[in-house]
Amino acid sequence: METTNQRRALQDAMVFLGAIASGTEQAIGESANNISYLAGVNLGKKLSDGVARTDDIQQALDSTREVLEKNDYLWLFEPFKTHDQESVVQESEEGTQVMLVFRDCMIRQSLFRFGHIQKGSLCNMMYGFFAGALQNIMGRESSLEIVHAGENACYKKLTVRRAP
Amino acid sequence: MSLEINVHEQSCRGCELCIDICPTKVFELDEDKRLCVVKHAEDCIACLSCAYICPSNAISHTDYHAVKNFYRDAEFCQRMGKFL
Repeated sequence: METTNQRRALQDAMVFLGAIASGTEQAIGESANNISYLAGVNLGKKLSDGVARTDDIQQALDSTREVLEKNDYLWLFEPFKTHDQESVVQESEEGTQVMLVFRDCMIRQSLFRFGHIQKGSLCNMMYGFFAGALQNIMGRESSLEIVHAGENACYKKLTVRRAP
Repeated sequence: MSLEINVHEQSCRGCELCIDICPTKVFELDEDKRLCVVKHAEDCIACLSCAYICPSNAISHTDYHAVKNFYRDAEFCQRMGKFL
């Protein structure tokens, strides 16, 4: 009975989350992205507080993943490279880039539960989370661009800017 | 787990929607047959967008990680309970 109640409460919370995102986007348009981005930044900074600093992006990603796992956040990701890439880590003019695949994602599930579109404001929360966590762990600015939002997985480009 | 993608030749109409939507360029058009074929299965991230968008339901995947509908899964519900 406890599990049934928890499941019902969780579904309600997810629908509520989807409704808030949908309503906020309707009311204030693209500014909704900034709100969820900042919420993600705060979360990323808070949860990664005390994590050892590193300049190595792969180690930083491992630490970020550990932070998510430790806190039971269903936002797990994995670095990915296509057949024509020599390495997972790519250097570009913008900075160091890594493609990430997100499979199980509580945001995507919430959006589907409510029937809301992907790539909206809630998806920006993950962008913010990475920006906050990597600011703590690497001391550098970063961005997380949604390349593709799929039904079963999302494909994103993480760019960590060079140190000034 | 070794993901496999299959395009059912008799169903495929060669509309190229799968080619357009795939973020990692897994498919290509076979010009002779006018069919979409799998070129780089190893690049597939199993987003399943190709299977969802295909109008003739010609694309299928096997051995992939299906996302957990955690709100229906008792174990995940318990783990997520702390957010409630």
